[in-house]
Amino acid sequence: MPIHMPSSEPIKIKIDTEDDIVSVRQRVRSLAQESGFDPFAIAAITTSASELSRNVWRHATSGMAEIQVLREGERIGLQLEVSDQGPGIADLQRALAGGYSTVKSLGLGLSGTRRLVDEFHIDTAPGRGTKVTIRKWKRGF
Amino acid sequence: MSASIPILKIGANLLATVQIELSDTVSDAFQQDVLTTIEKTGASGLVVDISALDTVDSYVAGMLANTGKMARLMGTETVVVGMRPEVAATLVRMGYMLEGVNTALSLEEGLAHLARTAAKRQGR
Amino acid sequence: MNNAPDYMTILKIDNRELKSRLAFFELTDEDFARLASLRDFANKYTHEITEALYDLILGHPETKPFFPDENTVHHVKGRQNAYFLGLFSGKCDLGYVENRLKVGAVHEDIGMPPKWYLGAYRRYLSLIYDRLIKEPRSPKELSDSFGSIKKLIFFDMSFAIDTYIAANLQTLGRHQAAIRELSTPVIKVYDRVLLLPIVGTVDTQRAQQIMEAVLTRVVQDQAMVIILDIAGVPVVDTKVADHLIKTTAAVRLLGAQTILTGISAMVARTVVQLGVDITMMHTRTRLADGITLALDMVGKRISDKDPLKDAATN
Repeated sequence: MPIHMPSSEPIKIKIDTEDDIVSVRQRVRSLAQESGFDPFAIAAITTSASELSRNVWRHATSGMAEIQVLREGERIGLQLEVSDQGPGIADLQRALAGGYSTVKSLGLGLSGTRRLVDEFHIDTAPGRGTKVTIRKWKRGF
Repeated sequence: MSASIPILKIGANLLATVQIELSDTVSDAFQQDVLTTIEKTGASGLVVDISALDTVDSYVAGMLANTGKMARLMGTETVVVGMRPEVAATLVRMGYMLEGVNTALSLEEGLAHLARTAAKRQGR
Repeated sequence: MNNAPDYMTILKIDNRELKSRLAFFELTDEDFARLASLRDFANKYTHEITEALYDLILGHPETKPFFPDENTVHHVKGRQNAYFLGLFSGKCDLGYVENRLKVGAVHEDIGMPPKWYLGAYRRYLSLIYDRLIKEPRSPKELSDSFGSIKKLIFFDMSFAIDTYIAANLQTLGRHQAAIRELSTPVIKVYDRVLLLPIVGTVDTQRAQQIMEAVLTRVVQDQAMVIILDIAGVPVVDTKVADHLIKTTAAVRLLGAQTILTGISAMVARTVVQLGVDITMMHTRTRLADGITLALDMVGKRISDKDPLKDAATN
């Protein structure tokens, strides 16, 4: 994944409880607003943050969210990295296709999120935990 | 009663206005409150006003859809009103079309829809 | 200049950015102390240097026009002196930076491109050097002194250029916003009935803009129906059809309806052959039929006038 220069210190939020999902969501929302994203983009990144955090809370014992503002020349972006030491996703292809149907299904959340953001990267394997990194860039002008 | 989301009775209908950040627990409690209130009041219609929500994720979307289904089993028609443009765009982009959920632009439109449904039911 | 944009915020210049930039330009406390110790030198030569600088600027046919009259020249020379002395203040905090940002903003304001003020900075360094070497100090001190001055001047230039670019981008942004608005002209044809004629190719980015414009207007106008006319869309393939289906679904979530008009025979054939199901949507070929349907949805009807009863209007 291309490297972009961060423009500030990353904000770390633990994801252990259900309320942490809301915390992550609120932080992402306010950062997106401060960075001047339009309402549609704010909704997209905030909803994605909620989906990813909930996946962690539901499928892993605990995890971490790292939010960061990125600068690439004149472009401003928001990066969210959600990681956990959970069981990992066995059939990633299926999960991303949206066809995963375990109880409290994981699938639609991940594939749905992918469609909301500009960059989506997932690093996972059974027993190795999961790390999802998403980026949303502020639209042209 | 938690009453974090107030549910008002307007004639034969109920109006629930969601104005707080919805955690999963609050969502579940809301659904429970709504169904209990329907049972208690025998309301024929339910309007859920989400105009204050700028984020509706898969959990809330699912809760709204399910609440509608549950209410219908109890004989109550549900309408979700006031969805924001960015919320509608996000849901659709994710793939949540919420087909079974009735929607209306505003409380006024929502009540009109419920009135039409009630009239149809009475075979008028 | 009360409407001046806040470049500190636009460029996100905070202490972290300042520290990072000072480090890259290798500006240390030692440099600032050295500059502070040269304050007498600065005071002695500031007017002379400013005059010599403006000899160049006012002597060149392309830069002279930026300073049309005596008042402007006088005013600008005063600012230049203040700028020069600022180099030897011995400190560099956010206040210093904010000041330097104004330089670039002013140049963008008057329309002076970077090539001229880069050239002026070059002259500046030259003028400073010529006088610095005459100071009674050791060669090493003089070399270090000029080194510190050079660092700070380049540092200042980086901010001037940042602002110049930011100001340019803002203008570009306004133009782009205007173009976007023009390419999604949502029209109100009747109370609670909107119409959007879509003309030209619809790629993913444009489709997104269309959806956002449509949804925003529907809520803003509380429209019950929006007609999307695609007669002007040259190619309607599965992707385009998918965009239209998504937009229709989103409009429904708001509580409104969509009517698709401008469905040519070719589009109808293509869509069905591709296996795309848009049978659940309201579709028509002629825009007029779409309008009739829309009016019907809002409880209106167009009827013929009775030549005897209805008096002619106008």
